Amino acid sequence: MGKDSFTGTKSYVLDPELARIVNASIRLEMPLLLKGEPGTGKTLLAYAIAENLGMPLIILNVKSSMKAVEALYQYDTLTRLNDSRFGDSSRDVSSIEDYIKMGKIGQAFTADSRVVLLIDEIDKADTDFQDDLLDVLDQMSFDIIEIDRTIKAKNRPIIIITSNAKKDLSDPFLGRCIFHHIAFPDADMMRKIVLAHFPSIEKKISEACIEAFYRLREVKGIEKKPATRELINWIRILLMDKEFDTQYLAKRDVPYLGVLFKKSEDLKLAQRYTGGY
Amino acid sequence: MFSEFFYTLRDRGIPVGPTGFLRLQEALDKGLILSLDDLYCISRAVMIKSERYFDMYDRVFAHHFKGADLPEDLADEIEKAIAAMLEEWLKDPVKMAEFLGMSVEDVKKLTPQELEEYFRKRLEDQKERHDGGNRWIGTGGTSPVGHSGFHPGGMRVGGASRNHSAVKVALERRYRDYTQDQRLGPAQISDALKRLRYMVPAGPKDSLNVEKTIKETMKNAGEIEIVFDRRLKDKLKVILMIDNGGYSMDPYVNVVQVLFNHAKSQFKDVKFYFFHNTVYSRVWADPQRMSKAFAIEDFARMDPETRLIMVGDASMAPYELYSRYGSIYYGSQMQRPSIDSLVFLAKTFRHSVWLNPKHEYTWPGTETIMAISEIFPMYELTLDGLDDAVGHLMKK
Repeated sequence: MGKDSFTGTKSYVLDPELARIVNASIRLEMPLLLKGEPGTGKTLLAYAIAENLGMPLIILNVKSSMKAVEALYQYDTLTRLNDSRFGDSSRDVSSIEDYIKMGKIGQAFTADSRVVLLIDEIDKADTDFQDDLLDVLDQMSFDIIEIDRTIKAKNRPIIIITSNAKKDLSDPFLGRCIFHHIAFPDADMMRKIVLAHFPSIEKKISEACIEAFYRLREVKGIEKKPATRELINWIRILLMDKEFDTQYLAKRDVPYLGVLFKKSEDLKLAQRYTGGY
Repeated sequence: MFSEFFYTLRDRGIPVGPTGFLRLQEALDKGLILSLDDLYCISRAVMIKSERYFDMYDRVFAHHFKGADLPEDLADEIEKAIAAMLEEWLKDPVKMAEFLGMSVEDVKKLTPQELEEYFRKRLEDQKERHDGGNRWIGTGGTSPVGHSGFHPGGMRVGGASRNHSAVKVALERRYRDYTQDQRLGPAQISDALKRLRYMVPAGPKDSLNVEKTIKETMKNAGEIEIVFDRRLKDKLKVILMIDNGGYSMDPYVNVVQVLFNHAKSQFKDVKFYFFHNTVYSRVWADPQRMSKAFAIEDFARMDPETRLIMVGDASMAPYELYSRYGSIYYGSQMQRPSIDSLVFLAKTFRHSVWLNPKHEYTWPGTETIMAISEIFPMYELTLDGLDDAVGHLMKK
């Protein structure tokens, strides 16, 4: 596909601001760093870009103990040791290269076509992790020390990095990224998002749900406000419930609050507020 | 291009660097910026690296490209507005009471300080929420504050705006909640508190000490000698003492509650006590300050490594702090002034801080704040302040 500009997908409602930023990041060839409340669609954006531009998506799920080199490649010494002892594999024990496995970033660099690379929740790992990735993302290349070879990206991947702001990212890292903070969608945007997920939903129902949703987000003292993801799940359940009637919401007698509020303290507050369930 | 804009951003304390500015030029070169809307999004994305600065960016942008006012500081505005409101109040109490939705008698019962706090609370509410309503000062265009330089409406929190042009968006100030000096939200508090850790070796010796193992093995002429250590465990103890009484703390109850909830989930060993204004012979373990009194002397028996966090506005009549019989409660007269109790606490727990929800620049105006800040290192109850406080608590 010869597309190089992102326009959103059927299920991902793109706001024009974000579209501009995504396209700038693609054109400037800089990674796009996304922050924002959980459930505001940071990860989904990467999926949407891949789908929209017709590119494969490679996801690196960052874990707390992860070292940057794992994301690049791994030298599988154990297999080599086994092979040398039992000698029944097709690999050549004398060639280290046969035991080098590409990590997710390595895969993105060596892929034959341009890919979307999602580095999900980078703030989970230590700051070393970011620092080590700095040059890799800047130069779009890395060295495999064991075989003294440099892997250079065949095609510069489109890189989306998400962060939940658990840790501050280092300045040099930030300097190399385009930054965007996804704000919580306003009601207008939310209508579009709901419609994208439930194309045939009755207007009366979606309006009542969205209205109740924003009202519940404002309950005093709530710690983890329900996000888009919770709203979508909630509507899904409400639609499956044959007994459900929008009147319930109007009467503040809100069912399935547990879908919206995941923390028991929050749930209690919400229950007290709605006086039901 | 846009170098003036760039320097205004810098002047306003946003850490924008030359690299970001060059990126902006690159984006211009590549034809990515064809409209003001493009400029708004893309220059922010390449230059601003934290949502903390989005609000200021918006304001600078609106100022630069639309000539909007660029006020010095919001907190400053609020102080000005309060002064103006007090003045207005003196001129026309009836009208003012009407705006506040209170009877003239009720308002008259308030002391000037209380009235000030009341105004402040209203203004903060107004700052936080912007979906209209008649309980707020300044609605309906007849606001007594409107002509005093503070324009809550003038900052255009245009809730119903459907037109998302860049300048409109900038003027909406959607990111106000993210600014660093804003009152804290749950996530930020959790972040700041996470750094409170006190690791000490505890439990069975089951953690391999590689270095010592090698050393011992060498000493042993190559015969392997494995050395185990106790693993490190977080043994941090925290005491949180909260001023939960009185009119002056009212506006801050919410944020303190969040702090409270977070501390509870964050630490294994955290104790809460409550007081009003200052600490006399005892504090209370129940928020009502009725049944579970706890004598100050008993704190001497607690682990001195405990981190003590006091939360309060430290604002009261000076005699409450200095007088021997200063307690404002009937029947709780004490032999020593409360300032001694505070000194006693600060000496008992050498890691202690006082978090003050009042803006730091207002501190010098209150005698008791200054006195208490001599006893406890005092920090503002903002993200920055909490950061510094945690830093202080973790100092060796």
